[in-house]
Amino acid sequence: MNWKNIRLVFLREVRDQLRDRRTLFIITILPVLMYPLLGLGIVEMMLTFGEQRHTVVVLNDQELPAVPSLLDEQGFAIQWFEGGADDAPSLRVVRESGAEGSNKTPLRPGEASPEQLIEAARSLASMFRSVHGQDTHEELNLVQQRASGRIRAQDLKLKDAQEELNRRFAQSGIQVLVMIPPGYQKSLHQLEEMVRNQSSGNGAAGFPPILVVSNGADDKSAVAFARVRGALLRWENAIRENTFAAASLPVELQSPGRFAWLEIARAEQVSASVWSKLFPAMLVIMSLTGAFYTAIDLGAGEKERGTMETLLISPARRVEIVLGKFLTIILFSIGTAILNLLSMGITGQQMVKSFGSGLTETVRLELPGMQSLLWMVILLIPLAAFFSALCLALATFARSTKEGQYYLTPLLMVVMGLTMFCLSPSVEMTPLYSVLPVVNVALLLRGLLLDSPQSVGLVVYAIPVLVSSLGYAMLALWWAIDLYSREDVLFREAEKFDLRSWITSLIRTKDAVPAFPEAVFCFVLILMLHFAAMTWLTPDISGPNSGRLILRTIVVQQLVMVACPAVFMGLLLTTSPRATFRLRKPKLISMLLAVGMAVFAFPLSYEFSHFLVAQRVFPELPQHVREAMSRIQSGHEPLWLLVVVYALTPAICEELAFRGFILSGLARGGRLAIAIVISSMMFGIIHMIPQQAFNAALLGLLLGLLAVYSRSLFPTITFHLCFNAIATLQTRASGIEGFMVPFCWKDESGAIRFHGWFLLPAGCFLLFSIVHMIRTVIREQDLKRRGIIAAYSEEPVDSNLLYSQQPLPSAH
Amino acid sequence: MIRVQGLTKEFAGPRHGVFRAVDDVSFEVRPGEIFGLLGLNGAGKTTCLRILSTVLRPTRGVVEVDGVNVVRDPEKVRSRIGFMSCNTGIYDRMTAWEMVEYYGRLYGIPEDRLQDRLAKIFETLKMNEIRDRLGGKMSTGMKQKVSIARTIVHDPPVIIFDEPTSGLDVLVSRAVLEAVAKLRDQGKCIIFSTHIMREVEKLCDRIAIIDRGRILAEGTLEELAERYRQPDVEELFFDLIQRRDEEIPV
Repeated sequence: MNWKNIRLVFLREVRDQLRDRRTLFIITILPVLMYPLLGLGIVEMMLTFGEQRHTVVVLNDQELPAVPSLLDEQGFAIQWFEGGADDAPSLRVVRESGAEGSNKTPLRPGEASPEQLIEAARSLASMFRSVHGQDTHEELNLVQQRASGRIRAQDLKLKDAQEELNRRFAQSGIQVLVMIPPGYQKSLHQLEEMVRNQSSGNGAAGFPPILVVSNGADDKSAVAFARVRGALLRWENAIRENTFAAASLPVELQSPGRFAWLEIARAEQVSASVWSKLFPAMLVIMSLTGAFYTAIDLGAGEKERGTMETLLISPARRVEIVLGKFLTIILFSIGTAILNLLSMGITGQQMVKSFGSGLTETVRLELPGMQSLLWMVILLIPLAAFFSALCLALATFARSTKEGQYYLTPLLMVVMGLTMFCLSPSVEMTPLYSVLPVVNVALLLRGLLLDSPQSVGLVVYAIPVLVSSLGYAMLALWWAIDLYSREDVLFREAEKFDLRSWITSLIRTKDAVPAFPEAVFCFVLILMLHFAAMTWLTPDISGPNSGRLILRTIVVQQLVMVACPAVFMGLLLTTSPRATFRLRKPKLISMLLAVGMAVFAFPLSYEFSHFLVAQRVFPELPQHVREAMSRIQSGHEPLWLLVVVYALTPAICEELAFRGFILSGLARGGRLAIAIVISSMMFGIIHMIPQQAFNAALLGLLLGLLAVYSRSLFPTITFHLCFNAIATLQTRASGIEGFMVPFCWKDESGAIRFHGWFLLPAGCFLLFSIVHMIRTVIREQDLKRRGIIAAYSEEPVDSNLLYSQQPLPSAH
Repeated sequence: MIRVQGLTKEFAGPRHGVFRAVDDVSFEVRPGEIFGLLGLNGAGKTTCLRILSTVLRPTRGVVEVDGVNVVRDPEKVRSRIGFMSCNTGIYDRMTAWEMVEYYGRLYGIPEDRLQDRLAKIFETLKMNEIRDRLGGKMSTGMKQKVSIARTIVHDPPVIIFDEPTSGLDVLVSRAVLEAVAKLRDQGKCIIFSTHIMREVEKLCDRIAIIDRGRILAEGTLEELAERYRQPDVEELFFDLIQRRDEEIPV
């Protein structure tokens, strides 16, 4: 590798990007301007919002007691508001009595005159009465006794009139209507008398409530309602206090709970929690955006403008070109992320300064400490590297910049989903999360920015997070480099896509084995069916017959959701289902190998998953799965049935789908290793539960290799059958008291476990088999490439041999 | 200088198995000679030249440029050839000087020699007035000049022109053809692909007529005229293609 060339490519690309106005704008100008403008906008909005007054009409206000007085000349008395003098002016109170000039505050534009408002309020009140006669208050009493809290109009008999009421209320210009019942003062007075005399009796009966009408669906009304409610409750407290004092009861009775709320977080920590949510999310999204737009220009853009070929003809090697481009993208990715965060932080600071105390009490916006910022930069590097390499690969794969941009949306959505997942406070760092891409960085960063005592413990995770992130970055980079050495990717041109002609060509021009996209589609179909089944195919596991029900569901699931899509697609879309599903007589050695590997792989796989659970890499199995398993142990069902359901059915169905249709399709391009890896990952994903998925993916590798090696599906079915059968037997045997097999012991939960000394020869056998299979496959591939093994013949021998020199017959 | 022996290139068709773009092609080109590759669009000219420039790998056959095998040592081959195609391949946001300088550096020309070389090339091709103009603001003719400058900046012994005049007006094409002729006079080994008969007649020392991946005829213009009793290249070309059509039904 020549560093001089990498540097040359890098410098050229950077200069090129800096000369591009669009990129410059998105990457530098936009963040620098956006946040201050956004901040300014928020400030403006808050100012105008604060200026707005809401109208409250109080009917029959002369019935209110004089002491404590709820209303004064300005409206609600200042003492009843939490914010005191700040909050009081936000409500404009119009009183029916029109007393003491409170109705004479100057009108603002758009506000109705007090007379109009009172008129409207009266007609609303009379509507209540006309619908329900005089007993509205009585009825309210009853409802309130049933359910305390806010009453909905539907709860009353008002239902029929609700629409009309709603409309009238909206038109009236009143946000909150307070209706004091007649005789309120008298009733209150009576109650006070009773308390003073300490006489018992039902004083509340016939004590009508104050009716407060608001519309929660209207923002203005909701805001005003919250204020009015606060004021009324405080005023109520004051009444109670007065009453207690008059009856010489202890004041403490007011709040017998006696709470003192103590907050122990330091001010910086509270502020950190705002940033700890915002910064990781912004970091992830901005580094992706920065990487993406640059990558599109460097990859697809270069192809589109025709300069790619010229560059490829220069003596620079492909690796050097890719690295030069990768470095450019990572530079812009990191640059965008840092600029955005800086601009955001500075804007936050500025807003704090200009707002003074009012804002800082509710939201603290001081930037996190130096150490946290340093962590952010350290973690940004592998994250940006991963995104840069991934975007470069996608951009290289795309035929045009337009196609490249289509890839952004799904990528962004996946990444956003992962980030949102990390923002949930219930998600905490675990060994598993520390190796998941994007999630690991976001979670670690969130924890470190929190600046809590727990964040010190998180530093342990820094190593797996950094190592795995760099690993993913390397993997993505390797993909990008690989794409650069593929002629079909570099020189494919944008072609027109027509759905109809595509479908007709799909059905008319069939090949012996499925194409790559067909294999992927088959997997997606299986996945969608599983997803759909999650809602309507959940057996009732609580019933008496649940055991049978579960078994039946599993068989139906396997047949309908796994085997059917693969078999139908195989029959419809290929000319040779025999080649597609590898229906070929296997050699004896392959069958023996399959049985042997299954017998030895089971203990290894079982102990490995125990080990992973013990190391807390994976959570323990969920409750319902353990329940289902215990049902098998309890032995209600005959053993043969369990073997059919748990071993035979999945062995046939899953092999037809994953080692049959999907693997044949994926291997179409001649890249067997990648096909095996992808098919095993798909096989894992279908198994849903994390530890099962992981195990299944590992076994999928083995099965894929076996299928390619033996060129037949029967050995893999045998392997699958044996493996699952052993698992079923083992679970069943665990339930039997005193049952013992050689090489095994029972742990405290009663499960049969395998001795460590048995695992070693098992591992050796497996390793030997794998090496043997890989070497055989590589040798065959080599012979085929050199044309020594006969390529495709009329009678399809198997699907591995199809990448032949001869054109395949098509089915017209 | 260039030796192509039994070259075959196959692509995996999207749904139709294998497509053979170049089929058992053999020819040789000597220094100081312009070898014309004459064929319709899609005849396999570009594929053939892309294999020569190591961008594509041959499926079968041996290709040597200046004694170096394109599969075994592609970097070495690339440093010995200049390649210019119909697609100008000029960066929009780079000036003419920067563009040629960038490729000069990629070819590993020492910095002091590079500046002299650039000055000389810009002088010869009369490009000094567009020296600091950005690629996006150049006319097609200017771009073509920059392309030629880029192709010869490292003074390669072998130069490949892939339809260099397609889409150019008469004046610019003429300038390009003159430049090609001058390069031949300097003793370069040149391959020139085109579908325009006039250019072949004017420029090429030897030609090969290629159709659907196969070479139908090869030799000097005089040899071909004599062999097929057809003095007019255009007539000869269509005769050959017609004969081939009769041989293999589509």
